Amino acid sequence: MEQIGESAHLIDGNMGRNGLDGILEKGRDLLAEDLREGSPAAATKLVDKYYEQIYRYMRRLGHGRQTSEDLTQESFLRAWQHTEQLRNGRALNGWLYRIAGNVSRLYWRRGKGKGAVSIEGFELSQTDDGQVEQAEQDEQLERLNKAIGELPLKLKEAIILHYMQQLTISEAAQAQGVREGTCKSRLNRALERLRKQLG
Amino acid sequence: MTNEELKKLLGGLVSKTSEQVRPGLADQIKHQIPRRLPWHKGRMDTINIIVDLRINRFAAAAVIILALILFASVLGGRDSGGLYSDSKLVAEYLFGGNKLSETGVAAGMSKYKSLAAQGRDVVFYGEFIDPEDGEAVLMQWKLGDGNYRVMFGDLRQKTVTAEQLIRLQSRMLLKKEK
Repeated sequence: MEQIGESAHLIDGNMGRNGLDGILEKGRDLLAEDLREGSPAAATKLVDKYYEQIYRYMRRLGHGRQTSEDLTQESFLRAWQHTEQLRNGRALNGWLYRIAGNVSRLYWRRGKGKGAVSIEGFELSQTDDGQVEQAEQDEQLERLNKAIGELPLKLKEAIILHYMQQLTISEAAQAQGVREGTCKSRLNRALERLRKQLG
Repeated sequence: MTNEELKKLLGGLVSKTSEQVRPGLADQIKHQIPRRLPWHKGRMDTINIIVDLRINRFAAAAVIILALILFASVLGGRDSGGLYSDSKLVAEYLFGGNKLSETGVAAGMSKYKSLAAQGRDVVFYGEFIDPEDGEAVLMQWKLGDGNYRVMFGDLRQKTVTAEQLIRLQSRMLLKKEK
């Protein structure tokens, strides 16, 4: 009976999720600690864990493929030089995305990224099964993607960080270097604009 | 369109914009991992916390040094005389004007190590300068714009041009010769 009770405890939705979160948290803490100690193995692990995310973040921000690769590399190089800013595992996402955001902004500021969106934007894959409903949704996605691209940078970053890179509000706020309230307000304003644009 | 519908649509956009990443990008990045990464450990946490509290850096340094002295005395490592002289040294360092003390050199050395670990082009003169000279250049490092950041013996910092730096160094050498 005890064993059944224990199993039930383990597979219980909330407890299970909490347990998994705890393990993930512990893993992130260890990675953060190793990075702060200057471990090259931890730097390798950081790349494995995040390079796809950061590349896609750059792409979603509107950079071309080659530029996104370059900026992803640049982000990691900077991350390794700034591990002193990494407090703990919980701050890992916010810390790395903040560096990536700075790298991207610096690129735009230098004027190198002009025209990248129109030249090499996403080609959203179209479904070819001929269903009208699906075709309509694809069209909506295309319009949404375009509308996101036209948002002011701060709003665009907030939307991408939270809804597309799946960061929590707290992580997205940290990545943008603002308070959670500011991040929420940016998200609301961005959603409002997108809603208006999509009709 | 409601907010919920929009959020659902955003969810749909995630998979549509998750394009394949070029195989080999990860390895390319990994090849650039420096053999020696900067090392940051617990002591920096304490400094960061105090600096984060927006306390003046000198006050933060004083808090840390006094805490260390008190800690040592509690453990019995120092007698009361030692505690007094250490405190005097801290007070002298903090309020003693432009006098470069051993503590100043140590603080400079710590800054030097941190900059060197970041791969900055930094030169430390701590062993060569007159410990009594607060105007002496304790260290220098090059900035991205071609100028130099200089830390003086009294731990003041200033950005100077290459020419100004040469003048400062010449002054230091002339003083040394005397």
